[in-house]
Amino acid sequence: MKAYTGKVLFVNLTTGDIHAETIPDEVYENYLSGVGLGAYILYQRIPAGADPLGPDNMLGFVSGLLTGTPSLVTGRWMAVFKSPITGGWGDANCGGTFSPAIKQCGYDAIFINGVSPTPVYLFVDSNTAVLKDATSVWDMDADAAEKILQQDNLNKKKPVVALIGPAGVKRSLISGIVNDGGRLAARSGGGAVMGSKNLKAVVLAGVKPIGCHDPAAMKTLSKELSQKMRKFNLPGFVKGGIFPLMGKMMGGMKRALPMDGAMAGILMKRWGTISNNTLGITSGDTPIKNWKGSVVDFNHSYYKHLNPEKILKVEKQKYHCYGCAIGCGGITDIASASSGEFTESHKVEYETCTTFGSLSMNKDLDSILYINELLNRAGMDTIAAGSTVAFALECYENGVITPAMADGLDLSWGNAQSIIALVKKMIARDGIGDVLADGVKTAAAKLGVTGQPYVVTAGGVEPGMHDSRFDPLLAIHFSVDPTPGRHTIGSAQYYDMIHLWEKVSWAPPSGAYLKADEYIPSDKLAVKSVALSCYKELVDGSGGCLFAMMLGVNHWKLFEWLNAATGWQKTPDEYMEIGKRIQTLRQMFTIKHNVDPMSYKISPRMAGVPPLTAGPNKGKTVPIEAMMKLHWKHFGWEEQTGEPTTATKTQLGLDTL
Amino acid sequence: MANKIPVVEYSLCAACGVCVTACPFSCLELSKVGIDRYNKVYPVLASPGTCTGCGICAKACPVEVITMQVLAGVP
Ligand code: SF4
Ligand code: SF4
Ligand code: SF4
Repeated sequence: MKAYTGKVLFVNLTTGDIHAETIPDEVYENYLSGVGLGAYILYQRIPAGADPLGPDNMLGFVSGLLTGTPSLVTGRWMAVFKSPITGGWGDANCGGTFSPAIKQCGYDAIFINGVSPTPVYLFVDSNTAVLKDATSVWDMDADAAEKILQQDNLNKKKPVVALIGPAGVKRSLISGIVNDGGRLAARSGGGAVMGSKNLKAVVLAGVKPIGCHDPAAMKTLSKELSQKMRKFNLPGFVKGGIFPLMGKMMGGMKRALPMDGAMAGILMKRWGTISNNTLGITSGDTPIKNWKGSVVDFNHSYYKHLNPEKILKVEKQKYHCYGCAIGCGGITDIASASSGEFTESHKVEYETCTTFGSLSMNKDLDSILYINELLNRAGMDTIAAGSTVAFALECYENGVITPAMADGLDLSWGNAQSIIALVKKMIARDGIGDVLADGVKTAAAKLGVTGQPYVVTAGGVEPGMHDSRFDPLLAIHFSVDPTPGRHTIGSAQYYDMIHLWEKVSWAPPSGAYLKADEYIPSDKLAVKSVALSCYKELVDGSGGCLFAMMLGVNHWKLFEWLNAATGWQKTPDEYMEIGKRIQTLRQMFTIKHNVDPMSYKISPRMAGVPPLTAGPNKGKTVPIEAMMKLHWKHFGWEEQTGEPTTATKTQLGLDTL
Repeated sequence: MANKIPVVEYSLCAACGVCVTACPFSCLELSKVGIDRYNKVYPVLASPGTCTGCGICAKACPVEVITMQVLAGVP
């Protein structure tokens, strides 16, 4: 048996046509499933120039090749589409329980185009696929609507739902797609695409078994990882209070060393992503005050309030996405933080703590916990929403947004109550909220400040909360990935933990090196970024999680699992070629849709132009354009334009698509 | 009620939830806490009445910690 179903469901909301298509084995061998299958379908089926919010855009829900097999931390799904923010390739990654549910219906992916005349949702189980009326749940928040749709479709199997909240319904360009009570496929604007199709939800209740080639071999690998994860612990007396000191030490290091990814496992298991809340502030990894400040501004009197231990205090239990042995998530009690409005919530992530914390100079943790739940229910991207708030605060400081324009809100830095009010207005598209509801790029255009230093994006997308001046390899990925601003592709820290060089012949060994060298464009740095890009596409084709990827190839054995699942017996180098193919096709999609890859370059402030004058990143500048060009060159793309060369396309078999 | 039911060896369980998703009748749910110091949530047979004893959950478990055990008194 294979690890994939070999079938894909197509739904046209304009005509109501629903049909399945068989996908040849070679497609999986060349693109895997997940993002690879998504790129293969979307590149060919979305016409150039299609309106991202029109009927020609196609929204795909893709599972991973390894999802549902006895592998671990491979249960993530992705939404794929043409991004309404960039006009190029768009995708968003999410955990929860939706990925196996796609395969249990008998499909590897579901692709939806057209526009329904009235609000609908798609229901699929092992035998049927039908469109149902969604009028009664259309305006509801994601949490309420999910519960109703599960109840309405309850038969033997409890249904799994992916849906939009009010932000997607109102086509906010920074809206995402929600699953499992508040996990979001947040990025690239997929919620707006779904909303534009009048599609509230996809409800899945299939029960088909998911096979694989060699389950025994897969389970042996899983037991090995599970055993290690049980042992990845710190003594109980080590508390979150140590992170600022750790950060300070890391920020001050002149040399970088290869690290054991086990550390990522230890931190994720105990705290989750919030383990970086204060560590990142003192090391220089965390952006502050809309990227113009430093730990001197967001100093101890501020960051002590974001100590992850304070969040663990309200964590009632852990939360694992489907198939995960790490379990970075949690369910937190937010009754007090929300003044009784909500009872519980998915544990806030580091990204959210940062956009609504240091980026906005806000030290009120309760406000962040509350906003997190507001946005999860609305289905709005917390990275983009918080970055847009920080932009608005700086606009207020500059007088670009006047008190009158702010509907009477005092938008001074760190005013928690005003920030809450502003978020509510953004969700409702009310007053100043409507100006901000589509993110920084659109808001800047509406305010007439495009190109100003405080408009901080990568290609119009609000970047993830890791500072590109702290990690130039991250700056490269922010700027060259077909989803710009994405913090989950690669960084020097990831590279040093993943140990690709131990399995991939051409991945440069890390070794001890001077941090200062990272700021100088070099072939070695470019090849590292190419390797990370290829590997991340493999992970995304498999349904893997970034945090498993960070454990490194010796703990989370992706190549071995892929062979056991499929029987292909490919070498790591051959798999990396697949990653290269997927990434090149994502880039070809962007170019087909007439978007200039150079336009994805990070904003000057993110590259240290001008450099910061205080903090760990003081004086640092990243020569980003030269680095982008070297990355493109080593990818086999035109060095000046980022367009994949004919030779590369031919070599990867992409010339005939 | 089936004559066999799934029994989880919690000390080796990864709390991954694969068994819960695999069950065609949603008999299992993640609700057992208090097993480790992290407050992870482990699977329990919440609807023994609907369990058919099919063993799909046991087969799906990536780390093979579910055994199908005979229920005393059920033929
Ligand atoms: S590590 Fe965290 S985000 Fe990743 S699959 Fe596990 S629970 Fe989900
Ligand atoms: S034995 Fe079958 S019915 Fe019973 S819990 Fe396992 S999968 Fe469900
Ligand atoms: S599938 Fe196995 S390891 Fe995972 S939760 Fe169930 S019993 Fe535990």
